[in-house]
Amino acid sequence: MRALDIAATGMSAQQLRVDVISNNIANMSTTGYSARRADFADLHYQQMTRAGAINAADGTVVPAGVQVGLGVRPTAVTVTWQQGTVAATGGDLDVAIEGRGYLEVTLPSGESAFTRDGALQRTGDGLIVTADGFEVNPGITIPTDARAIEINASGEVYASYLGEVEPQLLGQLNLVAFSNDSGLEAIGSNLFLETGASGPPLVGQPGEDGLGTLRQGYVEQSSVDSVREITDLIEAQRGYELNAKVLTAADQMLGATTQVR
Amino acid sequence: MDNPGYTSLTRLSGLAREMSVVANNIANISTTGFRSEGLIFAEHIAATGRNEPSLSMGSAIGRSISAQQGALEQTGGTFDFAIEGEGFFMVESVAGQALTRAGAFIRNDFGELVTPEGARLLDAGGAPIFVPPDARGVALAPDGTISADGQPLTVVGLYMPNDPLELSRQSGTAFTAESGYVPAENARVVQGFLERSNVNAVAQISRMIEVQRAYELGQSFMDAEDSRIRDFLRTAGQRS
Repeated sequence: MRALDIAATGMSAQQLRVDVISNNIANMSTTGYSARRADFADLHYQQMTRAGAINAADGTVVPAGVQVGLGVRPTAVTVTWQQGTVAATGGDLDVAIEGRGYLEVTLPSGESAFTRDGALQRTGDGLIVTADGFEVNPGITIPTDARAIEINASGEVYASYLGEVEPQLLGQLNLVAFSNDSGLEAIGSNLFLETGASGPPLVGQPGEDGLGTLRQGYVEQSSVDSVREITDLIEAQRGYELNAKVLTAADQMLGATTQVR
Repeated sequence: MDNPGYTSLTRLSGLAREMSVVANNIANISTTGFRSEGLIFAEHIAATGRNEPSLSMGSAIGRSISAQQGALEQTGGTFDFAIEGEGFFMVESVAGQALTRAGAFIRNDFGELVTPEGARLLDAGGAPIFVPPDARGVALAPDGTISADGQPLTVVGLYMPNDPLELSRQSGTAFTAESGYVPAENARVVQGFLERSNVNAVAQISRMIEVQRAYELGQSFMDAEDSRIRDFLRTAGQRS
């Protein structure tokens, strides 16, 4: 009974959908998180009668043929790139990215990773790092005697000192774009890695070359839409039940077959 | 087995096949751009001899693909396109050209729009669609014109099979037609939406129940036929 296997592919597809939805809901309050969506496509088709075959009985050409599909499979879990809401925090090192782009950080291994989480901190030495302690690239050190830090829309970081009128330029925060954002590899902690599919990182100044701008004192919130996730969850659950019904019906048909004496 | 047995066997195997079709429809209830499918049964008549009634068998000879528009779901994705009306997107992979209604495209690292599986979306002239990586705003007009920052790039191609009945399913929500493709005239595209699967859950479940009951009917018919032959043999055995 093919229907048993087909219903099983349907159930595992809906299961994957629930997994993706639960991860989205779990990250509803994660800074800079982008919602994921599971995409599906139909599986292979088995040819029973080829379209265009000659009907043996009367010599006519079969116009449509018989093909039996063998179920469903996941094709991609796509990151839906939507700007999350920016929320005011007032923190002098909180920067929200408005538009495209990522901040580049250096992992302990020396590898570069990319993030939209702009809730930055400083170490005891004044180095700008992410909340997890990864150094933001290019490294900028804030002098301990700086009274206030200002980051403008194009990423220039200024420090003002007591008794000085003009703030001093400390460095430049860059943004990185990819030609294919969906090809990035998520490694957790709001970090992404470059892959062959994403293309190389294209470094630029915020506000130029299609890159977004920075906004100090704000962080980008999760782009998860709770209403949407809940309706998707209901749909996935009902889809699972429908497939389970098919499984039961196919099983009963199989049972009827074994009862033929 | 006698003729009645073979006749009900064609029905039972046809029903088992239809159950697969229903199961496939329900399995693809969340597949973007999926078109549900039905099976067409036809009478197959076999002559049994002179002055004898002919034998009629039911067999599945064809299928119908529902052309009903699926619901449009708002996703807000820049490269999520849905078609309103008849027509398909044309995609090109190593396996050749194919039609699809699944409009969830992404930009690959060459800047071309591709399906999640990497097949390239083609424009009205049959060329891949290139979107510059530095484009800030990409907009799609209902007639299929893609523009980046207000500058038109190209027109997304919408196609139909030459013969509307001739569609062969391929995996990946794709269809091919041997007799070729023509541009679709009356279709519109919308950006930020995806077309849902057009599988109607209620219709599929009622079909499934019908198939299941018909199968059980066939099974009890074969049981009855079996006991009829057994009774005949017993009676014939007693006489001799």
